[in-house]
Amino acid sequence: MDQTTVQVFSVLFVMATVVLLYTARFFERRRRQRAQRQMAALERLPAWTSQSIESSRPLHLSLGASAVGGEDTPSALAGAEFFYHLIQSGAAGDQAPTISTSSPTSVPLAQDTARRAWEGDSLLSARWYPPGLAFAGGLSAAMAEDEAAAQILAGKLGPELALILDGADRGGSLAVSDQLEGQAVAFAMADETLIGEELYAAAGYVSDEASASRVAVVIDVWRGLLIIGLTLALLLAYAGILPWLSWQLLLAAVVAATVLGLILARRS
Amino acid sequence: MSEDFNWLEEARHDEPQTPVAESGRRRLFSRLPRISLRPRRPGLPALPPLPRLFRRQRDEAPSSASQLISEREERPLEELDERLRDLRQRSLQGSEPPADQPLYNVDEVLVSPEALNPGGGLIGAVALSKAQEEQVELLRDIVDGATPGPSPGGASPGRGSPVALTTATRLVAAVFVLLLASLPFVSSDFDFFPLPPADFEARRGDARSLYNALDNLRPDDRLLLALEYGATAAGELDPLADLALRHIFAQGAQPLIVSSNPIAIARAENIIREINRSVMRANLVVEAGAHYHILRYLPGGALGLRELSENFAAVARYSSSGAETGLDIASLADLQYIVLLAESAETIRFWAEQVVPESAETPLLAITSYAAEPLAQAYAESLPQIAGLLHGYRDAFSYGEMLKSAYGMAPPIPLTPTLEPAPNTTATPLPASSTPDPTATPAPITPTLDWTPTLIHITVQPTATATPDLQRLSTAPPGERATPSREDLDDPANQPGEQAVAVATVMAQPTSAPAATIAASDTPGPTATVASIRVVEVISPQQVRIRRGPTTADDILRLAQAGDRFEVVGANGDGSWHQIALEPGLNGWIAQFLVEELVMTEAEFRSGSASLPAERAVLLREYDWSLGKTGPRYYQAQPPSPADLHEFAQLRDRHQEGPRLQAMSLGALAAALVIVLGNLVHGVGALLRRRGASAR
Amino acid sequence: MRRMPSLGSAISSLVAFAVGMTTLLSLLLGDNPELFGEQPGREILAERIAAPGDVMLRLATLMVALSIVLGVANLLHVHVLRLRRHSLTSAVLLASFAFTLYWHVAQGDATLLEAVLVPIESALAALLCLSLVHGASRVLQKRADIWGALFVLVVIIVLLGSLGLAELAPVQTMRDWLMAVPVSAGARAILLGIALGVIVAGLRALLGQDRAYRG
Repeated sequence: MDQTTVQVFSVLFVMATVVLLYTARFFERRRRQRAQRQMAALERLPAWTSQSIESSRPLHLSLGASAVGGEDTPSALAGAEFFYHLIQSGAAGDQAPTISTSSPTSVPLAQDTARRAWEGDSLLSARWYPPGLAFAGGLSAAMAEDEAAAQILAGKLGPELALILDGADRGGSLAVSDQLEGQAVAFAMADETLIGEELYAAAGYVSDEASASRVAVVIDVWRGLLIIGLTLALLLAYAGILPWLSWQLLLAAVVAATVLGLILARRS
Repeated sequence: MSEDFNWLEEARHDEPQTPVAESGRRRLFSRLPRISLRPRRPGLPALPPLPRLFRRQRDEAPSSASQLISEREERPLEELDERLRDLRQRSLQGSEPPADQPLYNVDEVLVSPEALNPGGGLIGAVALSKAQEEQVELLRDIVDGATPGPSPGGASPGRGSPVALTTATRLVAAVFVLLLASLPFVSSDFDFFPLPPADFEARRGDARSLYNALDNLRPDDRLLLALEYGATAAGELDPLADLALRHIFAQGAQPLIVSSNPIAIARAENIIREINRSVMRANLVVEAGAHYHILRYLPGGALGLRELSENFAAVARYSSSGAETGLDIASLADLQYIVLLAESAETIRFWAEQVVPESAETPLLAITSYAAEPLAQAYAESLPQIAGLLHGYRDAFSYGEMLKSAYGMAPPIPLTPTLEPAPNTTATPLPASSTPDPTATPAPITPTLDWTPTLIHITVQPTATATPDLQRLSTAPPGERATPSREDLDDPANQPGEQAVAVATVMAQPTSAPAATIAASDTPGPTATVASIRVVEVISPQQVRIRRGPTTADDILRLAQAGDRFEVVGANGDGSWHQIALEPGLNGWIAQFLVEELVMTEAEFRSGSASLPAERAVLLREYDWSLGKTGPRYYQAQPPSPADLHEFAQLRDRHQEGPRLQAMSLGALAAALVIVLGNLVHGVGALLRRRGASAR
Repeated sequence: MRRMPSLGSAISSLVAFAVGMTTLLSLLLGDNPELFGEQPGREILAERIAAPGDVMLRLATLMVALSIVLGVANLLHVHVLRLRRHSLTSAVLLASFAFTLYWHVAQGDATLLEAVLVPIESALAALLCLSLVHGASRVLQKRADIWGALFVLVVIIVLLGSLGLAELAPVQTMRDWLMAVPVSAGARAILLGIALGVIVAGLRALLGQDRAYRG
């Protein structure tokens, strides 16, 4: 594909996503119910939140190294949104939750999330530690001291996640990372794990707010289309048709995909 | 009291109500579908408010609900009001409520904590709906934190608790892994594993491309060396960074080191300090500003890299210490290569897509960790910007071996005369103004060596065995600058302005050894000293071990390949072992049947070793094959004392590449064993629990 | 009933939307004169389209560089507050901070960084290895299902396959295949999913629908 085709395709893809984001909202409003899968990993969250309230131990949430102002800005925003709903649900406890980050640009985001959701004295909520293993070390020490009820880590986390989770034995832990290494560690060591794009959809599953859940719907739709697209491309490649694929064909594919997505969103 | 009673809501009636608690509480139960604690059956009488016991403030409260409950006995009864005392009495009297009474019909009785515990009692006796059972489970989770098994938390770390058990197993696993991994350092009997090949395998074209690219650098070429890794990958990538830097320095090229990780910059400084320390004996030093630059730290992750890509001139203006570099570089396109050492494959992809396209003429040479290999390989195949790839400690070994065979084993460079008196030493001073007088005590540090005007050729033609068949850089983009071949570099005609300077070094030997002198020079009249020496050449097709003593029980000092030559300095009683010189002050033993004995002149012996200018080849020969780059750093600000050098030499003896690689393999084996055993126990335990549950 | 947005949040959403979409389109469509066919002055047009995106990114770079001050301020603030709760770790942290600052001002070098942080990080990395081994030995405790078992099996194969023993040649072949095919494919699938999530969550922010804009 030449540069022009890539650009045209990118714009079309973005526009289709925008359309889906708005239309998913329409379906949400009309049907008042979410078209979502079950996420077993999230089912223990209410118990942890309750535990935090009952035992007066704070929840610990972490954005990892997700930074506002980099390619992982969406991870930071999605993590913050997820945490917002979690904190809200645990707002009856007397311990402010902590949101840690190793990116200084995410400090305001963490502070803002805690302030909005907690509405109490959240001065200690946002915490920054230097990146890398220093983050894991500093965080483990602070969490042991605070006796966190549960650790929920969602963002850019690498292998240092192992140190944090190893120290999280006394509480529950849920981890998801946009890094492959972190994801593998999360699977091995966390009590619960989300995988890949579930990081971005998680907020939609823990809240009944339409704006959060439609992100989950749109991701599901695109994922379904991606699977279909990949399978088709594979078949086309085997049949020897793929070399003819031009940007006009891609345009047609995107339009078809959007239509399919709309139908899927309505049915689901 | 409302029929739709909320337990927690009621519990807080006598607390000062804040808007925060109010709003939060309401939100809690509207958003958590599974933990609504409201009774589902209408018309039931409500429970009384929770006692103050459950409402302590954080600063005076124990850390968990289970601890809170366990301490209830300490609370004097007289503190309770009459109604609660009555309730308590009644609950103690009848641990078994009437069988037909459901949970919410406990009519003003506060459920005692014992009753909430599993194994009969109140909960076992009542008939609950599924939803109620879930609520009870939740309450158990909250209240009964000390229940064994993976509860959502709250287990207090007491004796026999899961946490204590976990700590014990963690300790045992750690001790086991460390013990096994340390065995190869104790004795060579634990060397079970074959070492990686001494050359990149034939299928590793990308690794060869990287090697060739660095090998064909010209003096004064500039390249970007990006260190994008943290401590987690440093064990693997520090040795690779060390080798790459030595390789680059040896060609006389100038690396511009950059990182978006401040610790990586500190690591780079350490690595260069190590290089300087290792070549100090050759009176060499690489200096910041002259031979390399460490550029300023790049903050801001992806955005910082974008700045590097689009505005490299600004990035290159300042060094990491804030000083002006004086570099006159317009963009990344002015650089010969970008060498990227990255912890993850994604970083390589990011650099290839986001940084390199701005300077598409500059190929990216990527070096990454073993774990990132599969994806990095896929990226290297699909992204045309990536012109070479190395990964992991096995490649580090092969890379080091290739450099060793290309540039020769450690030459006999003296430590200092104060350390190694060499009574039989003869030296031939050569008419070279810049050469230190070998008979005098070398100064700890000479002024910075100026590379260009003092290029030296020790050898004229490398032998076939010592020089691997280096293929040309195959993946260079079209329209690239013509890269000179090794032969071009060796040809004095291609290096105008080069002075012929010879180096004489003195070999310190035990008295039994024949005196030896190294002398080599270039074109204007070589002045080689002719002295026959006994040399052994390794003939075994396998890697052979050079040991500390003439038995197989002695420690391994080095490994050698077929074709490697060593000078003989002695033999054992029956002649079954040769004592050979490895480096000044260090002799090793090799079994006689593994080698072939030769007699040759000193010059002939040396001719098989180096093909680079001597001063720069030293950088490669003196690579410390074993130490991670966080080794001792005696030379922070002061030049080393002879004692320091001696100590370093001792350290070099102790840590050798062989044991280190053996230790890594044994560690991996131990880890595999721990993982298998641990999971076996847990898996069987889970099966038994499941079977027990289904039987009930 | 839906709450009407405040004027402040409406304005912030609008600004976010305008800046976000301008930057996005500028980056997507900029620097490609071919997009405008044979139109005269197409190079200038392409450059002009690319300009706003570049300016915004440079501004962002500047802000990001300055944000390190924010991080340090937060660190100090949090730990001074925790000091009131007699937190030992906070006391150590603040004392180290003060000492490092003094050292840097007095000595003007980064010796402490190299002499303290680098070895400590290396030690933590070693600890990380043990943590990982221990964590992997408990996979079936946390996940007693087929996926947990599969995970453990792959870990064992990869570990044994990396030993290079001749006796384990079949394991090595299996390891190579695992790494090249299923692991690589799985990693790509996860990355594709993440990319989708990034696009959708990113667009949501660019459309001004993020919580931060809602006042």
